[in-house]
Amino acid sequence: MALTVSYTGQLSEATGVTEEAVQIAGGERLAGLIATLGEKHGEKFSELLLDDSGNLRSTVLVVLDGSQATGDLDSILLDDVQDLMLMTPIAGG
Amino acid sequence: MLSESDKATYEWQLDVPGFGESGQARLRQSTALVSRIGGLGGPVAFSLAAAGIGKLILAHAGDLRPDDLNRQILMRHEDLGKPRVESARKTLQSFNPDIEVEIVPENFSEENASRLVDKADIVFDCAPLFEERLLMNRECVRRRIPLIDCAMFSLEGRVIPIVPGQTPCLACLYPEIPPHWKRRFPVIGAVSALVAQIGALEGIKLLAGMDGVCLNQMIYIDASTMRTRKIDIVRRDDCAVCRGV
Ligand SMILES: [Zn+2]
Repeated sequence: MALTVSYTGQLSEATGVTEEAVQIAGGERLAGLIATLGEKHGEKFSELLLDDSGNLRSTVLVVLDGSQATGDLDSILLDDVQDLMLMTPIAGG
Repeated sequence: MLSESDKATYEWQLDVPGFGESGQARLRQSTALVSRIGGLGGPVAFSLAAAGIGKLILAHAGDLRPDDLNRQILMRHEDLGKPRVESARKTLQSFNPDIEVEIVPENFSEENASRLVDKADIVFDCAPLFEERLLMNRECVRRRIPLIDCAMFSLEGRVIPIVPGQTPCLACLYPEIPPHWKRRFPVIGAVSALVAQIGALEGIKLLAGMDGVCLNQMIYIDASTMRTRKIDIVRRDDCAVCRGV
């Protein structure tokens, strides 16, 4: 399945792109996708998203097809999702 | 009732559906606090002044520096080295002498939070630090005052209209200080101004009693492609700030 993943703020700086197309298998959860993307985009990417215990940082917003998702990395299922936004916080004025 | 002078100045916007004389009158009776009047807060204040808000309170510490001038459009080159709030007040009062402008040469803090928010009907949050933003959020939720939280970074920006008790608050989305955010951020003034206009308009709609305020949503714009999205956001049941409000 094809998924568009977009990145905002410092995450976009870390990946060098604002969005990319990603192929995922059925049953993929956010934890698995972030691990795969972390290998591709490097340490800074993972550090912005995950805390020292490997949990999603409380200040990262996950948006699935335009709606904020809640729950932890393992509970967020990506089946039937077309558009995933990973948003690190911004506060520039 | 609008004065003849107000009618003469604002007659073109009185024709806007849903705004009209009642919206203008409500705006005229309103006081807005704009916290920091840099790249975002400056254009917010400018548009509120143009729309005929009753009173602006501008809070921002420090003196004008050369590297402010790529985005801080209320400032004037001749005021380099002088307090930013004074330059801003001069610009706004020469643009619209009929509005009241109060200046506070301080940034939002624990010490002044209560005093600053006390006089406002709405707060526009345009500060570059989450410490200030979360403090402002806490104070606005405590007093049930709407907060328009505006932020940008590089070629993107977002606005979150917060109405305590009705929408998520800022702490629902960011329950702690994000550890990686840095004080210095990439910025082109036009992006700040673009985001500011979205924020100003949401505030004007809210104050004037117009429909269409993006409640329970974050308005996000990617100016690199000009794609705009409205993201549905949710309250956090265990939010330390707005739980029970
Ligand atoms: Zn909250």
